[in-house]
Amino acid sequence: MQFFAFDGPYLERLRAGDYRTQEHFVSYFSELMRLKLHSRLRSEQAIEDVRQETFARVFATLRSGAGIREPERLGAFVNSTCNNVLLESYRSSSRNTPLEEEDSERLPDQAVDALNTLIHKQAAENVRRVIDELPERDRRLLKEVFLEERDKDLVCHDFGVDRNYLRVLLHRAKQNFRSMYLKTVTQREQAGGE
Amino acid sequence: MDHSEALQLMATERYLLDEFPPEIRDQFEEHFFGCPECAIDVRMAAAFIEHSKKTLSTPAIVPMPAVPVKSGWFAWLRPAFVVPAFAILLAVIGYQALVVHPALSNTIAELTKPRVLESAYLSSGTARGDSQTVVTAPAGQPFVLFVDIPADNRFSSYSAELLSPAGTKVWALTTPAEAVESAKDSLAIRVAPANNQSGEYVLVVRGMGAGATEGPELARYLFNLQLR
Repeated sequence: MQFFAFDGPYLERLRAGDYRTQEHFVSYFSELMRLKLHSRLRSEQAIEDVRQETFARVFATLRSGAGIREPERLGAFVNSTCNNVLLESYRSSSRNTPLEEEDSERLPDQAVDALNTLIHKQAAENVRRVIDELPERDRRLLKEVFLEERDKDLVCHDFGVDRNYLRVLLHRAKQNFRSMYLKTVTQREQAGGE
Repeated sequence: MDHSEALQLMATERYLLDEFPPEIRDQFEEHFFGCPECAIDVRMAAAFIEHSKKTLSTPAIVPMPAVPVKSGWFAWLRPAFVVPAFAILLAVIGYQALVVHPALSNTIAELTKPRVLESAYLSSGTARGDSQTVVTAPAGQPFVLFVDIPADNRFSSYSAELLSPAGTKVWALTTPAEAVESAKDSLAIRVAPANNQSGEYVLVVRGMGAGATEGPELARYLFNLQLR
């Protein structure tokens, strides 16, 4: 599992325009922003617009003299910037005014993050294995919630379970998926080291 | 929201199941944007949900459960039982066809052939022991005894019991009174060779009352069987 410490050196590399650090930064926060924006914006284009505008502003701030002082606050800064852009997006969408696209073309492609690539390569297989191991009842429960997107309360009622059951089911499935992922990554690293 | 609070709340699951009110949702977002561990947890859970949609949209390949063998009337039809059973059955049929059936056919053929049987008369004279009747018969072949039965209308039937030289019963025969009367008191009894033992045999005749109760002894015939 790739845990990155957003420390001083990371922040310095980001300010200096180090491509690999920028690549990681964009990939990492792009995914978090998509998760965040998905429940708030309807179209993929609107999500993409907010994402790009957020990065443009963050990089502009980092390169300015008034850049963030505390590296550990980097994530919170990205989030608050995203919130601001989102609010402006709500306002501008009523006026049909497109967001500024300042500096967005110079940003690295967010889809090249190694973790991201690995997740997408192995996720489908690992998820299939996790789901295959579930009892049929839990499979149907997940199907109705995530695939058919039925009302969760109604689904829980139909299956005779409460919301906590659904929460724990998701938690266990996620943990199994995460364990499988870690195992796969470890095996790949060992194979690569030999 | 701090990390331990996020764990305690199962914040990742609640967030992706859209269970948080807006202000708590914002707090958790602020947390996981700065917490790599929670961020990876959210990414993992989101990836699981996203990929599970594809997996769940295809029918599950459910392995066929092993069908338990039902015990009942048809349980014996299992090959493990039926194959040896049929093998034994074929062996029995073969033995009957090759050994038993020819032997029986020969016996039947012998029985259907006309032949003269050895015979002897057992009359009241022999019963008294004046002279012992000698019956000569080939070993393994039947012979005929003509038995003088003193008819008495008190009896509804008569019994005849053959005793071996050792005094044990060889066989017993019950005959209705009408058969005795029609035979003019001299009843012909075909005697199958019970064993190949020569010696003095005794035929005991009794009258039988109503209800087949054993009556008095009417005659006792002694004869000497000599097998050739």
